[in-house]
Amino acid sequence: MPSIELEGVYKVFGDEPDKAVKLINEGADKDEVREKTGQVIGVQDISFEIKNNELFVIMGLSGSGKSTLLRCVNRLVEPTKGKITLRTDSEEYDVTTVDYETLRQIRETQISMVFQNFALFPHRTVRENVGFGLEIQGVGDKEKNRKSQELIEVVGLEGFGDSYPSQLSGGMQQRVGLARGLATGAEVLLMDEPFSALDPLIKVQMQVELLDLMEEMQRTVLFVTHDLDEALKLGHRITIMEAGKTVQKGTPEEIIVNPKTEYVANFVDNADPSDVLRAVTIAEKDFRVSEDNRVKINETTEVELSNGQEVEKGYLAGTPVSIEPLEGYDSPEKEVILYVSPDTPISEIMRARLNYTSTPVLVLKDQELVGFVTEQNLLHGLLEKGRG
Amino acid sequence: MGDIFSIYRIPVDVWVADGVDWLVSNARFIFQGIKWPLAQLLDGLEFLLHITPPLIFLILLFLFAWWASNWKVAIFSVAVFALIGFMGKGLWDYTMTTLAAVLVSVIVGAVLGIPLGIISARSDRFYAIIRPFLDMMQTTPAFVYLVPVVMLFSIGTVAGLIAVVIYSLPPVIRLTNLGIRQVPDDVVEASTAFGATPNQTLLKIQIPLALDTIMQGINQNIMLALAMVVMAALIGAGGLGVPVYEGLNALRIGLAAIGGISIVGMAMVLDRVTEGIGEKAPGKRE
Ligand SMILES: Nc1ncnc2c1ncn2[C@@H]1O[C@H](COP(=O)(O)OP(=O)(O)OP(=O)(O)O)[C@@H](O)[C@H]1O
Ligand SMILES: [Mg+2]
Repeated sequence: MPSIELEGVYKVFGDEPDKAVKLINEGADKDEVREKTGQVIGVQDISFEIKNNELFVIMGLSGSGKSTLLRCVNRLVEPTKGKITLRTDSEEYDVTTVDYETLRQIRETQISMVFQNFALFPHRTVRENVGFGLEIQGVGDKEKNRKSQELIEVVGLEGFGDSYPSQLSGGMQQRVGLARGLATGAEVLLMDEPFSALDPLIKVQMQVELLDLMEEMQRTVLFVTHDLDEALKLGHRITIMEAGKTVQKGTPEEIIVNPKTEYVANFVDNADPSDVLRAVTIAEKDFRVSEDNRVKINETTEVELSNGQEVEKGYLAGTPVSIEPLEGYDSPEKEVILYVSPDTPISEIMRARLNYTSTPVLVLKDQELVGFVTEQNLLHGLLEKGRG
Repeated sequence: MGDIFSIYRIPVDVWVADGVDWLVSNARFIFQGIKWPLAQLLDGLEFLLHITPPLIFLILLFLFAWWASNWKVAIFSVAVFALIGFMGKGLWDYTMTTLAAVLVSVIVGAVLGIPLGIISARSDRFYAIIRPFLDMMQTTPAFVYLVPVVMLFSIGTVAGLIAVVIYSLPPVIRLTNLGIRQVPDDVVEASTAFGATPNQTLLKIQIPLALDTIMQGINQNIMLALAMVVMAALIGAGGLGVPVYEGLNALRIGLAAIGGISIVGMAMVLDRVTEGIGEKAPGKRE
């Protein structure tokens, strides 16, 4: 059950890092530091924790320090300052201070990496590339080849095991890098834009594959991407970086609903929020319960509550109808009122409205009425991304 | 104002002469220690090449050249060596002696040059230290170091061989260094990221990817060795330098010419064959 914690991690490229760190602490930004000292700030004062089985996304524009931060975690880049802790079932390592042999073992068995520029071994076949980590682990040929073949198939490259990287397209090469990273069985994965070169179809396939992997086996993933939709789709939490700093950190919905800076807002503006916004976020929660315990939802729709706010009955134009969960609902001809749980993505409500019902959808928590989602709530949520 | 140089004379010539004298009287055993294995190696190879019947040699050459390169190079190689043989039995024997010297220089290149090249690639400081020596070894006119070489190793085949090795070793070191440094950082990084030790990275990644450049170094090593063979004859090395040198002394232009032709022919054969081996290197898959 690995988790990783970063505390105040800095990386300064150059030979006078102390000077640069001092300037940063005095409030200088990346450009100022470069002007005054010639030192380039990779990342500055980054802290976060990635929990077990969490997919943590790092986003940001080119040059914002995403790769640098990722590389600090397995010390391909030596952090200038700060502490990185890796916790596994049995051990706790301070990655920044462990001795060489421990670090090497961590790299061999605990932390695996998928590189932004693939970094395949050109003189090795696809199979030999994928099996490299296992080879270093000293796994026998038979087991190594079996495992390599399995991953070659997972990334959809069966039949190319004996090809050389130069014989493959960019997207195929990227999948070799992916397979190589997954093959070692390491529980922590550092993935630097692992899907950037894939066509949309295969990209979705690989994303699903990754989500499945995370469900089947415990994996802790640090995932770098440029693509906000990808970040929103995969990330349990997202951190957004600008010029080496963290500008915002939160769940996909928090980021969409409440972008803290202009920079984040610019990112978010082009995103499709329908899979991220939850029903409870956009729902009308301000409703009035009448004397006879009824709530009027619109002209024709009404529900009746028990004393504890639990929804008892529904009425459409005065006629009693049943109240059914949207999840798994599949009989469009019946007149019903549908309900969802607060965490349901609004895309599901939109689909239901398209297929089954034109009445508002209730948002229930343990059968209690939290609110309801009308057409207007949906449109407002989409356009305003749940803000205001 | 003209003669500022008469103020003081730096007696470098005296220092060098004294230094060599000192080495000759005090450290001769070291040089004898260097001499012994080289002499064994050279004598052994020479003996083998001389007892091999020419026909067998040609067949082995054919097969080797074919393996290393292709049938065209194989036929060319056999044709060149047959031509040398048909120009005179004596010339064939000289050629075998020279081939033995070249082989020793390749072996020294491989066992000494490649490791030194690898160390150079890993340590900027080490390379900075040995670089001037490499420059010296390659550019000091042979006549200048032939004298100390003779004083330290006494005249004979090994002294000649030493001159050949000194002259031909640097390209192996330089090109091994270059080849390994040219392996892209990201590939080395990937190997490191999977927990490979520096030695594993060297063996599994860097050397295979540098192999074609290293082979170029070996190729250069052979070419320079052949170029030095004539000089080396001056201090007692046998081989193809002998007819060239004798022809020069006695103004027998024909004798010098066939010696020269043989050297050039050998150079071409060895060049094509080592080039073929270099082409096989895995780094070529890029
Ligand atoms: N080895 C290095 N030497 C000097 N500066 C570096 C080095 N690596 C990165 N940098 C600098 O650190 C900053 C962050 O680079 P980094 O590669 O982490 O960006 P990134 O967010 O991954 O960008 P991209 O999306 O383009 O991959 C940049 O300003 C870059 O110039
Ligand atoms: Mg990057």
